[in-house]
Amino acid sequence: MALDFRAVAHKSWRTIASIQTGVVLLILVVILAAAGTIVLQRPVTEPDEMQRAYSPQALRVLDAVGLTDVFHAWWFLGLMLLVSLCITAASIDRFPNSWRFFSRPYKYPDESFRRASHPQKSLPIADEETGLVAAQRALHSIGFKPERVVRADHFGIFAERHRISEMAVYIVHASLLLIFFGTIVDGLWGWSGTLNLNEGQTSNIVELRDGNTRKLPFAIRCDSAGQENYKDGTPKKWWSKLVVVADGHDVQKKEIVVNDPLLYNGVRFYQASYGPNGNVDKFSLVATPSNGSGEKQEMGLAVNDTVPLDADTTVRFAEFFPDYAIRDGHVYRKSNYLENPAAHLVVTSKLAGKDFDVWIPTLDEVADNSKSPWQFQATDLKMSHFTGLQVSHEPGQWAVWSGVVLLGVGLAFVFYVVHMRFWAVPVCDPKTGRCLLWIGGSANRNRDAFEQRFNDLVASVEEELKTIPGASRSEQVATVVGELKLGN
Amino acid sequence: MARAQAEQQQPTTGMTLIVLVGLAIAFLLLMAFLNVIKSGNLLSETNLLFATLIFYSGAGALYLGFGVTGTESYVKFASLATWLGLIANTAAVAHRWYEAGHAPFSSVYEMLLSFVWTLAVLTLVAEKKFGVKVIGTVTMPVAIVGVVLMQLLRTEVHPLVPALQSTWLHVHVTLAMLAYAACALSFALAAMFLIQDNMKTETFLAVTSASTLAIYAGVVFTRFEKWGGLSLVAWDPERKSEVFLSRGVRLFVNVPDLGWLMALTLLVVASPLIFYGLARLKKNDVYLTVANRAVFLSILLQIMALVMFVVRANDARYPSLDADGLFPTSLAASPFILSGLVGGVFISLLYLLLLWRRPDLGRLLPSADDLDRITYKTICLAFPLLTLMIAAGAYWANQTWGSYWSWDPKETWAAITWLVYALYLHMRITRGWRGRRAAYFAIAGFAVVMFTFFGVTYLLPGLHAYA
Repeated sequence: MALDFRAVAHKSWRTIASIQTGVVLLILVVILAAAGTIVLQRPVTEPDEMQRAYSPQALRVLDAVGLTDVFHAWWFLGLMLLVSLCITAASIDRFPNSWRFFSRPYKYPDESFRRASHPQKSLPIADEETGLVAAQRALHSIGFKPERVVRADHFGIFAERHRISEMAVYIVHASLLLIFFGTIVDGLWGWSGTLNLNEGQTSNIVELRDGNTRKLPFAIRCDSAGQENYKDGTPKKWWSKLVVVADGHDVQKKEIVVNDPLLYNGVRFYQASYGPNGNVDKFSLVATPSNGSGEKQEMGLAVNDTVPLDADTTVRFAEFFPDYAIRDGHVYRKSNYLENPAAHLVVTSKLAGKDFDVWIPTLDEVADNSKSPWQFQATDLKMSHFTGLQVSHEPGQWAVWSGVVLLGVGLAFVFYVVHMRFWAVPVCDPKTGRCLLWIGGSANRNRDAFEQRFNDLVASVEEELKTIPGASRSEQVATVVGELKLGN
Repeated sequence: MARAQAEQQQPTTGMTLIVLVGLAIAFLLLMAFLNVIKSGNLLSETNLLFATLIFYSGAGALYLGFGVTGTESYVKFASLATWLGLIANTAAVAHRWYEAGHAPFSSVYEMLLSFVWTLAVLTLVAEKKFGVKVIGTVTMPVAIVGVVLMQLLRTEVHPLVPALQSTWLHVHVTLAMLAYAACALSFALAAMFLIQDNMKTETFLAVTSASTLAIYAGVVFTRFEKWGGLSLVAWDPERKSEVFLSRGVRLFVNVPDLGWLMALTLLVVASPLIFYGLARLKKNDVYLTVANRAVFLSILLQIMALVMFVVRANDARYPSLDADGLFPTSLAASPFILSGLVGGVFISLLYLLLLWRRPDLGRLLPSADDLDRITYKTICLAFPLLTLMIAAGAYWANQTWGSYWSWDPKETWAAITWLVYALYLHMRITRGWRGRRAAYFAIAGFAVVMFTFFGVTYLLPGLHAYA
């Protein structure tokens, strides 16, 4: 029974670690992700748009299987976890072999390796020592650090470069896992939402993507915000001067613009939008008495301000509509954009004991301006604006960015860093006493370029052999023999 | 026999083509020059683009001529034309950059400009460095289609909206262009590998026919209207944008009779595939000859359909089924159909080129092994570029929207592209996929790239509205 269990476990391990499983999973991810871009997704798409696009039955089915929110569906998350598992398993499965290769480099090629190895070359040498020195010098000259391998009954030269390249694929896989880890952390503990602030307003309530709100442990105040335009009127820059308020103190100040957020306690505030909030900052008016007796008066009003006009008359700025519409004698706000503004003033006269409604501009269907004891002329209107902030908390993003950097490094190693190895082994025939220097090399990628390098090295060894004193005579003889051999 | 004839004719036809192309270029330049005198502005972007188009077309013709006849001297002139086109193209990019005050990456038009530039540079690199001389037969027509499309798309300089004012944007888009151009190159190399690998001509016939069939099926099944009309998006020439009935709902006009022509072309385009099927089924090569004839016919009809489409759909007014009155439409409103039709003609012509190839075309190409290896190396270049492109885009999104990944369609498709190439690399490195299978994969990968580049922008909604 226990044995069965072990067999099953072993089999599942082999399955999950196999490249086939990885390929199937990746193809599944591709198909589902593509589906997620073709089917309209909630909550990006408004509900009524969804209803227009699909029939009710179709929509019910799509919603039920989660195809309307693929990237947040449990099965998509599950699939990503499976992919992570597969990457991990495949890496663990293959790692010991690579690690052995990495930690215990193969320094002395035995005879069967020497026979099968490609590229390789044998050069005639006078004696073992000459060959080794020549190989050592040649390797030095191309920037390698050759080491002498001495075993009980044989010796040789070994040199290598960029052994780390053998590990590069694990760096890439580890970096992908790090990125997945970061996104999972963000998915579980991160949040994002919006916070709209009027100039001068302080708030700590963030409206989240899913419609809920979140209360921050500190508040944000917007001191001022603005927009700069290009000549053709399209927006060039939005900015907001933000202050972080914690425990009643201003703890941090920053002017943010698009692409340059404010960061406080892991929460980021991004400039996302800017616009009029439909409210008046200051409404400038000139008031003149209807009967012509009395001084003109200039005033600047905010909504609900009341100012005296004369001894027994006051005016109150009652309402403001940035974009008004009239229906059944009532005024409605159509939008928050300054398209078609109307202001409602109430003039109170103690003398007459009554209120007079005044509308700017004159709205005859609503009120008769001429009854008022004072007449008003608008001179200026300053609207107040809101700044739209995107607020997000992404505790996992550092894992993501380190993963990305690691991925870049890993890929650079995978594609462009070649693990090159060179061996030089003197081989002497005990019968004839003649010696050959066997030179071999190996590279884990880009083999054609490596072959060129290998040939250069061999040429350089040949050069070195000529310059080593005391060996030249016998070497020449050996060369002739070697060439004869090659000729056969 | 045929071969001997080709050898004999070669010197004369070779010179004729060079002279013809030279004359055509000279004539077009003269016309352009007259136009310049009239407008009094030599270095306007339109003129530069026009020059680019002329030279690239000349280069394309010469490369094609080289592909068919194998005359070495064509290549010299073709590279010369490419160089000249590249100079004009560079000037157009510089002009745009200067005028806009930012790198030309903020609209489809500007991206195409940069893409075509990169493609021309890579073509020259592939030719000079790797000795892949025929590459221009594939890349130059693509560049030509790009320049033609550019003429149709909006050209005014749009100032950058706040979200686009970031160094990361430039990094992101530059990487994207480099990666996509590398993918295009790998596609061309893979296609050449298939030719060099002696893939059967009929297989190419089937693929060509199936792709054109897909194009026309797409057009007919989505746009065919009652009484043989063709629905096209209405275009507002003043605002240079599509006409919207409400948010996301475009107004369509109905071009009468064009639908019939498209349906007829669909049938004719389908016929080579049908005959191919018959040939396979009955194991009778006569059907293949018929199929090849059908390809001729389909090219004629495709050209007719393209011409009629251009004539009828450009700057004309038609009634709509959804609203009263006549509404204008323009080629710019249907870039997708237009590139589909042009692409169809191009693919079919490529097949003809293959059909008429010299028996020793193989000698002109690098060996199959080399092509296989260069394709792989190009993808080794494209993949890290894709990775960095996605990373730079994510970083930029994080700076702008407060989220590094929001699964918008363009992001998702970029990820899909990345996964497809990752699969290619895994299959190649761990399963030892070489040769044909790897080539098919490289071709499929490029199809995904094209969809990410064009398809997502025009077919799927998302944040990348400006790209």
